[in-house]
Amino acid sequence: MQLEGGTGSSLRERLNKAALALLLVPAAAAAADLPATQIDTTTLYYGEQDRVQVVEPVVRATRLFGDGQILSVQLAVDLITGASPSGALPTGVPQTITSPSGKVSSTPAGAIPTTKFQDHRGGLDADWQTPIGKYFNSTLGMHASREKDYQSLGVTAKVSAEMFQRSLTVTAGGGYNWDSVFPVGGTPIGLSDGTEVTNGKNSKKVESFLFGVSRVMSRRWLLGLDASRTLERGYLTEPYKVISLVSFRSDSPIGQLTDNRPASRARSSLLASSVYHLDQDILYSSYRYYKDSWGIRSNTVDASYRHDLDDGWYLEPHARYYHQTAADFFTFGIVAGLAPPEYATSDYRLGQLTTMTLGLTFAFHVEDSPALWTVRADYIRQAGSGTAPENLGSASTFDLNPAINTISLVVGYSFNM
Amino acid sequence: MDRPAEQGSILTRIEDYFAGRFVAMASPCTVLIDGDDGEEAAALVEIAACEALRIEHKFSRYRSDNIVHEINHAAGRPVTVDDETAHLLDYANTCWEISEGLFDITSGVLRRIWKFDGGHKVPGKQAVEECLRHVGWSRVTWQDKTLTLPAGMEIDLGGIGKEYAVDRAAALLAARTKSSCVVNFGGDIYAGGLRRNGRTWSVGIDDPGRTGKAALYRLDIARAGLATSGDARRFVRWRGKRLGHILNPKTGWPVLGAPSSVTVVANTCLEAGTLSTLASLQGPEARTFLEQQNVQFWIV
Repeated sequence: MQLEGGTGSSLRERLNKAALALLLVPAAAAAADLPATQIDTTTLYYGEQDRVQVVEPVVRATRLFGDGQILSVQLAVDLITGASPSGALPTGVPQTITSPSGKVSSTPAGAIPTTKFQDHRGGLDADWQTPIGKYFNSTLGMHASREKDYQSLGVTAKVSAEMFQRSLTVTAGGGYNWDSVFPVGGTPIGLSDGTEVTNGKNSKKVESFLFGVSRVMSRRWLLGLDASRTLERGYLTEPYKVISLVSFRSDSPIGQLTDNRPASRARSSLLASSVYHLDQDILYSSYRYYKDSWGIRSNTVDASYRHDLDDGWYLEPHARYYHQTAADFFTFGIVAGLAPPEYATSDYRLGQLTTMTLGLTFAFHVEDSPALWTVRADYIRQAGSGTAPENLGSASTFDLNPAINTISLVVGYSFNM
Repeated sequence: MDRPAEQGSILTRIEDYFAGRFVAMASPCTVLIDGDDGEEAAALVEIAACEALRIEHKFSRYRSDNIVHEINHAAGRPVTVDDETAHLLDYANTCWEISEGLFDITSGVLRRIWKFDGGHKVPGKQAVEECLRHVGWSRVTWQDKTLTLPAGMEIDLGGIGKEYAVDRAAALLAARTKSSCVVNFGGDIYAGGLRRNGRTWSVGIDDPGRTGKAALYRLDIARAGLATSGDARRFVRWRGKRLGHILNPKTGWPVLGAPSSVTVVANTCLEAGTLSTLASLQGPEARTFLEQQNVQFWIV
């Protein structure tokens, strides 16, 4: 649109300037005031090599109201099948494992024993964001999810304030979760052979707090710093995980004990993130430091680069590096006859772990439709490290932490109603 | 933006261009697209219709679910507005300043006492004085995106809303297509450039006395905004004279001696519309006013 051009009078000069100020506001920003419902649907496929397969369809509806309120509701279903390492050690002879419910599974010689499972989970999340006055925003949220042996109910609340001409945003919030775990076949007693179980629900309560600051450094650069603290109390053990019991007198494990973890865990994390707008593209980067009272320390570096193509299409390559140290009570096995530890786990997720992720997102429109399709593919390579101590017998000759390759594929479709 | 026009739109092929028609802002609306792709043309008409309806929805004073209703029913309380409304109010404020108070978005309450239906009814002095107590942009506080209107006062963005919608819709079309388009919402027009054949667009201007029947002038425009102020059907008879519907917010009376129609061509439709309204508010001085503004204009 031609907005410049000869004016010739001071009145027209002023009118021209005023019209320019009004009409040069991006049309998209003006259109955003329209009450609209955006529907985002995604389907995640996640497949660990020879292990877990997850299919997760998600539907999210976000409604923007003219007065700045935003309501968003999300429904997700997870369908999980596959096998997860039980925690037991591999041996030179095939092992047979009998689960508390009487199911028998066997593991070939030298392979990591796994437990087969199948589960589905349904989850509902809702967030309601509302402006309070000119400079404040509040968000209230709720969460409910349920699976065969786990239920989670939670609430969150968050307030953010904008200051210094909206160049600085400060956010503070908290949440509370009431979870319960009710393992199939009862809850085994920790560090036992698993035959004795208690029935009923085990509760787990989670309190979380967060505090964040984000600052506009320049027209192109946004920096954020977020600190969070989470306190978990209650039943934090994985009821289906086991630890091999080894003996100096035998090459192979002589039995297995159930997992047992402390009844509280305090987690803290600090996240620094940056969004930098180049002439057309956007560079996102972040670093996260995490530690918890179980002795796990982790570092995460994440970067992605969004390259805009024509017509609202874009490509976004993504890379992530994650490393964590093992929990204090992580062990590959327990030696029979020695004083047993108070807590122990062989769950690889609490061991030393390094994960590399490489991914690519491609977003596009199909001709004549404003709806946006996104396809995201990630390759994840996860590797533990460390070998079992000598006293674990033949197990120490096997690779206890083979690298796991995972492919995750997300297809998304978003449109406005 | 994926909302169909409420009353639907009709697309027709005329010679070597497409014409889409729909109704919005209580006016017949037309979008002309100089192209051969019917599907694209239909999509463009849809975009223009959605934008017209969006702006109508948001700024019409006849709705009870929008920002104008909130402002007009705030009963003296301050109302903080969104960016788009703030820019429109800034624009209205500039118009008020440069017209020395003649262009006033709070003057709409005067329509409660004036009926421009061709009859003879003229309000009494007391009624006008009573009404004028609720008119005057100087009485409002407008700063930091917050508008405080004394109780009993109202704003009406109708005087700039349609022209604004034309420019907005034209900008959306320009972002979507390289084809030259004309956006015409009830006679407020923006033409987006020369046609493929190198010619200008030709716009007819109605004879104010025979609206809709015959075009009095044909104007050729390439890239420009055009707007007409004045509606020959809306007047009241007083002492043998016809008083047009343009009201002077200072006297509370229609502007005496205003031309029945003023058409202005300017860089944008918004500017053209504002200049034609400002000219009408000058009454018999309309022509002199426009001559000083260095614009193309037609006065009837």
